[in-house]
Amino acid sequence: MSYKIEIENLNAWFSGKQVLRDITMKIKENMVTSIIGPSGCGKTTLIRCLNRMHELTPGAKATGRVLLDGGDIYSEGIDPVTVRRRIGMVFQKPNPFPMMSIYDNTVAGLKLNGVSDKHRLDETVEKSLRAAHLWDEVKADLGKSGASLSGGQQQRLCIARALAIEPEVILMDEPTSALDPTAASKIEQLIRVLSQDYTVIIVTHNMQQAARVSDCTAFLYLGKLVEYGSTKDIFENPKSELTEKYITGEFG
Amino acid sequence: MSRIIDIGLEELSVMLCRMGELTYQAISLSLKGCLNGTNEHSQVCEMSDALVSMSEQAEDKAFELIARFQPVASDLRTIKSYMKIAYDFARYGRYALDISYINEQYGGLKHCEHWILEHIEKMSEKVLDMVRISIDSLRKHDVKLAETISKTEKEVDSMYFRYLDELVKRASGTNKCTISSVLIVRYLERIADHATYICESVVYVATGQKVNLR
Repeated sequence: MSYKIEIENLNAWFSGKQVLRDITMKIKENMVTSIIGPSGCGKTTLIRCLNRMHELTPGAKATGRVLLDGGDIYSEGIDPVTVRRRIGMVFQKPNPFPMMSIYDNTVAGLKLNGVSDKHRLDETVEKSLRAAHLWDEVKADLGKSGASLSGGQQQRLCIARALAIEPEVILMDEPTSALDPTAASKIEQLIRVLSQDYTVIIVTHNMQQAARVSDCTAFLYLGKLVEYGSTKDIFENPKSELTEKYITGEFG
Repeated sequence: MSRIIDIGLEELSVMLCRMGELTYQAISLSLKGCLNGTNEHSQVCEMSDALVSMSEQAEDKAFELIARFQPVASDLRTIKSYMKIAYDFARYGRYALDISYINEQYGGLKHCEHWILEHIEKMSEKVLDMVRISIDSLRKHDVKLAETISKTEKEVDSMYFRYLDELVKRASGTNKCTISSVLIVRYLERIADHATYICESVVYVATGQKVNLR
C-alpha cells in the first residue's frame, strides 16, 4: 500500500493563534480517509493545508511538510495553483457559479486554465458528469443554469467541476451537511466509487458517515491528532479514551 | 447529562442480571433433584421457558439499540456481548431442563454407585461455582473475577474426561457401546437443534417473522 500524502510535523496558525499542532500522518492512495473531531478542532484547516488554501486567509501561516507523491508542496518554487490542480476541493455548501450553465460550471476550471477546444470541453463535460453520477439527470439540459438543480445535484455538479481538472486527490469539507438524507446517500455512494480512481479525504461531523464511507479515520482534538487508524479499529475498538468518549457521544 | 443510549444499555444490563440469577436457580434445582432423588422438572421447565422469553426480549432490546443509535466502540462491544450472553443464559436454562428431564425419565443418581455420585457432586459444585463467577463478573463488570474462571474450566474439563475414562474402564463391551452411543446421540440432537435455529434465522432474515420450527 503506497501513501499519496505524507504530513510531517504540520502546524498552522490564524493571526497568531495556533490551530494545528504537530500533525504527522500518512494518507493511503485510492482510499477514503475521514477526519473527525469536534467543532474548532482544526479539521477544515488540516485539509486546507493539504492544497495550500490555508495560506489564502489573511494572517494564516503553516509550518511543516506535506509530501504529495514524495514531493513537498510547500517547497520553494512550487506553484500553489499547480498544487490545487492536483488536489481538488469540494466544499460544505454546493457552490455552482449561479450565472453559468451546467456545461460551463463543469469546465470552469479548464477554461480558466486556457482550454478552449470545443471537442475537448465536450468530452470533459460528459466524462466528469458521468464520473459524478449526474450525466443521466442533466444531459438534456446542459444549457440550464447550475443554480436550477436540486441541492444534491448541485453538489454532484461541484464534484464534476473538481474532477474536470483531473486531480489526483479530492478534499471534501463536510460535503453532505447541507443535503437531505437521500442526496447525502448518493454523495456517499459516489465517494466510494471515486476512491477507485482518486485519493479522497473527507471532513465530516457525521460519525456514522465516516464509519460508512471511509477506510481510515483520523480523530483530531484541540488541533492535535489523537488517533488515526483503520475505520474498523477506530469505531469498534479505539485505543484512546478521548476517541472513545467522542465517538460514543460523551463529549463534543 | 447521561446519553439516551445509556437508558437502553442499563435496561439490558438489568435484564441480564435477572436472567443470571434465574439460571443459577434453575441449574441448582435440577442438580439437586438428580442428586437427592426429588422431581423438580415442572419448576425447572417454567424457569427455562422464562429464560428463553427473557433472552428474546434482550435480543429485541439490543436490536432496537443498534437500529436507533448506531452504537460504536464500547457501546457496540457491550451490545454484541450482551446479545451473546443472553443466548448463553438461555442455554444454561436449556441444560438445566435437560438434566431435570433425565432425572424425571430415567431416575436420578441417588441409587448409583458411590463413586459416580461423588464425582457428579464434585463436578456440580465446580460448575455451579463457574456459573456464579460468570453472573457476578457480569454484574460487577469485574475483569479479574472473570479471568479466574479459566482455572476451574480446565478442572471441569479434566473431571469430564476422567469420568468417561473411568466409566469405560469399568464397563463391559455392551456398556461401552451404551456410553459411546449416549454421547453421540446427544451431540447429534444438539446439531439438529442448531440446524433448526439456523433455519429459523433464515426465515427471519427473509420475512422479518420470528418462527418456531422446533
